Amino acid sequence: MKPNPLLALAVALSFIVPNASAATVAPGDTLAENQDIDLWLLDDIKTLDPQKSASVGDSDAIRQLFEGLYSQAANGDLVPGVATGHEVSADGLIWTFHLRPEATWSNGDPVTAQDFVYAWRRLVDPETASEKASALTDLKVKNAKAVIDGKLPPAELGVRAIDAHTLEVTLDQPIPHGYMIASVTNTNTFPAPRAVIETYGDAWTQPGHLIGNGAYSLVEHRIGQKIVLKRNPRYRDDAHTIVKSVTFHVINEENQALTRFRAGELDVSPIPSGQYPRLKEKYPDQVYKKPRACTYAYVFNLSLKGPEALKDVRVRKGLSLAIDRSIITDNILKGGQIPAYSWTPPSMAGFKAPDIDYSHWSQAERVAKAENLLKQAGYGPDHPLKLTISYNTSEAHKKIAVAIQQFWKAIGVETRLENMEWKVFTDRLHKHEYEVGRYAICAGVDNAIDMLSFFKSTDSLNPTGFASADYDRLMNDVLTATDPNIDYDQAEHTLADKMPIAPIYFYTSNGMVKPDIRGFPVQNVLNFFYVRNMYRVVK
Amino acid sequence: MIRYIFRRLGHAIPVMLILIVFSFVIMHLAPGGPFTRERALPPQVLANINAKYGLDQPLWKQTLDYLWGIVVHFDFGPSFVYTDQSVNSIIAQGFPITLTYGTISGVVAIAVGVTLGAVAAIRHNSWLDSLAVGVSVTAQVLPNFVMAPILVVIFTLWLHWLPGGGFEGLLSPAYWIMPVIALSTSYMASIARMMRSSMLEVMNQNHIRTARAKGLAMRRIVMKHALKPALLPVISYLGPAFVGMITGSVVIDMYFSTGGIGKFFVDSALNRDYAVMMGITVLLGGLTIVFNLLVDILYAWIDPKIRY
Repeated sequence: MKPNPLLALAVALSFIVPNASAATVAPGDTLAENQDIDLWLLDDIKTLDPQKSASVGDSDAIRQLFEGLYSQAANGDLVPGVATGHEVSADGLIWTFHLRPEATWSNGDPVTAQDFVYAWRRLVDPETASEKASALTDLKVKNAKAVIDGKLPPAELGVRAIDAHTLEVTLDQPIPHGYMIASVTNTNTFPAPRAVIETYGDAWTQPGHLIGNGAYSLVEHRIGQKIVLKRNPRYRDDAHTIVKSVTFHVINEENQALTRFRAGELDVSPIPSGQYPRLKEKYPDQVYKKPRACTYAYVFNLSLKGPEALKDVRVRKGLSLAIDRSIITDNILKGGQIPAYSWTPPSMAGFKAPDIDYSHWSQAERVAKAENLLKQAGYGPDHPLKLTISYNTSEAHKKIAVAIQQFWKAIGVETRLENMEWKVFTDRLHKHEYEVGRYAICAGVDNAIDMLSFFKSTDSLNPTGFASADYDRLMNDVLTATDPNIDYDQAEHTLADKMPIAPIYFYTSNGMVKPDIRGFPVQNVLNFFYVRNMYRVVK
Repeated sequence: MIRYIFRRLGHAIPVMLILIVFSFVIMHLAPGGPFTRERALPPQVLANINAKYGLDQPLWKQTLDYLWGIVVHFDFGPSFVYTDQSVNSIIAQGFPITLTYGTISGVVAIAVGVTLGAVAAIRHNSWLDSLAVGVSVTAQVLPNFVMAPILVVIFTLWLHWLPGGGFEGLLSPAYWIMPVIALSTSYMASIARMMRSSMLEVMNQNHIRTARAKGLAMRRIVMKHALKPALLPVISYLGPAFVGMITGSVVIDMYFSTGGIGKFFVDSALNRDYAVMMGITVLLGGLTIVFNLLVDILYAWIDPKIRY
């Protein structure tokens, strides 16, 4: 590999993130007496084990109970967590993190580099069987793949404690700085309390057993009802933490959550589908909307099992062009979603959105082009294209599918809609037993690599069956690129050119929050939030 | 009678075994598994998970291991979705909750339904009858997923009388009043309609006419001669209805965040959380057998013509 001059320049540069205290009370704000807050959870958490957590609810709770190497301020800026800074070696392969000595677990024990070593080994250990084990292969941590495959013991993982407060991570190949840093705010990389886990086994996350190093500790978890946390006085920055207790209420029914929010039982609420405009008008001071790093798309089955017609790129392009995205975002979803003509959400950190030609065209131009392409591919009134759209049963997916059926009908494509239960649908998608399917992905790490590596042929995780050596090369080059946006741009243009998917819209997160709550919603596009950044003011 | 009960319980064993094996196999035949994700897991990661939960074993071996776990250790295994919990602990947490609000609902449904139906029949074709029929028809057509949100809007949002969700046990009625209303209403309506028609039939029978001819007080006729035979069809309905109520309802659990077992039952099927699904199926099956037996015993007690 050619040494990268810019990377060499960064050598031995210490990265110290700006130190910001937790909740900074804004001038003019008077704190309320009541500092207990009530949050909403759509589904109960599945686990409080940082290495095993895989759902949004899990990581929302774990982020309060534990703290990783780095953390985020309310505005999404990176701030020190257990680590205060780090260095990267000249070849980009050795990362050294410096941990603050004053950090402790909620039982008073110090948080050490060994706790991170234990946690990272645990993450890839086949015994743990974590769904997120591949988080460390994504980061190219040395031997991560071999440990997951059972070929090396977890002790061989490229991570070690130089001393109690110095953590060293060795990589197989360099990765972009931002990618590593964004990844260590993910709950799977958080430290784990070895003694407690070895004492209680799988039950270590129960109230009474669990110890953490976060701003809050676990008081109660009533499955299907609520999770109650209270302030952890031993947290390293407890002096700046304001909110005293947090209750996550599990409410599966969004309308019900909204009613309880209006009744004053909750401080935040979701906005049920389609109600954004009405609520925005009625409660302008409580409704919020912000970008979220997720993409909704229709995937085409290009695999051997897929229909012949979809193997023709002209057909795929025609189908994509015919979709009027703005009707879907403005007339169906009505929640401020953004029409998508490319794959990676433009809101992601450091990502420069590609300039895709057809995004500038009028819908009439797109439809004309689509008709033309289908004609070239040999489809027309006497030989109509027939396709089946599959989606998992849901009112919103159905409305979109019906709209797309109409858009495609306008260019002479006959479609049949087929809805299936979620697991059946997902299973068929991955087995390539579909023609056109609805699909959505949210970024797990706030870095474009996380979205774009999805179409690598080697991962074989994308349901389209799309494979391109050029694309794979791009995704490999980007890891050491001085300006990754050049590669991202090329990757996006490759996708637009080959059109294995038709991007439809980028998500927004919207919701409601009581006017006396500060520090919420958070600005980061993955929705990671920290209650220690929040507080309540006098009404 | 005692011999009869033992014989019935003896029959229950093969029924339960068939139920377990049949549900287990059907469940595993459904497409997708507990770890089927939109963003597919890398093959080796999935293989490690399957190995941990024994899902890499052939189906017959999984079935036998599972049966062994239940019969020998009464252990239903770990949940594949709620990985911090075992099936036993999910049931131990959720079932007392549904049992509480379900039993209260059952008592309310029976008391109100039987009274309403009996009064309507005795005052046949009067305004009381029309009222009772009107109430029960209205109650019947109001499904609980319509009632639950309406109740919360009225009692939580407008009046601020009751909390909109949660559960704090039998002694905190504020939390269970709305779940009980939402759950018991349609059962109550069915019981009332059934009671009314069976009471009407009984009131026209010879022994009642004889009693009236003898000049017995109406009150005595109803309480002593009509009520018991009129209850028979209601009782046969109560067995499965009661099991339905105490094993909860997904709607009640979803709308009122009770933490009850109904929600876990439905979720476990959707999530392919085989172990939780099986645990609740076994619980449900066992309760159904027990309640059907109870109904038969009640029958014998109420109807002197029935002897086992």
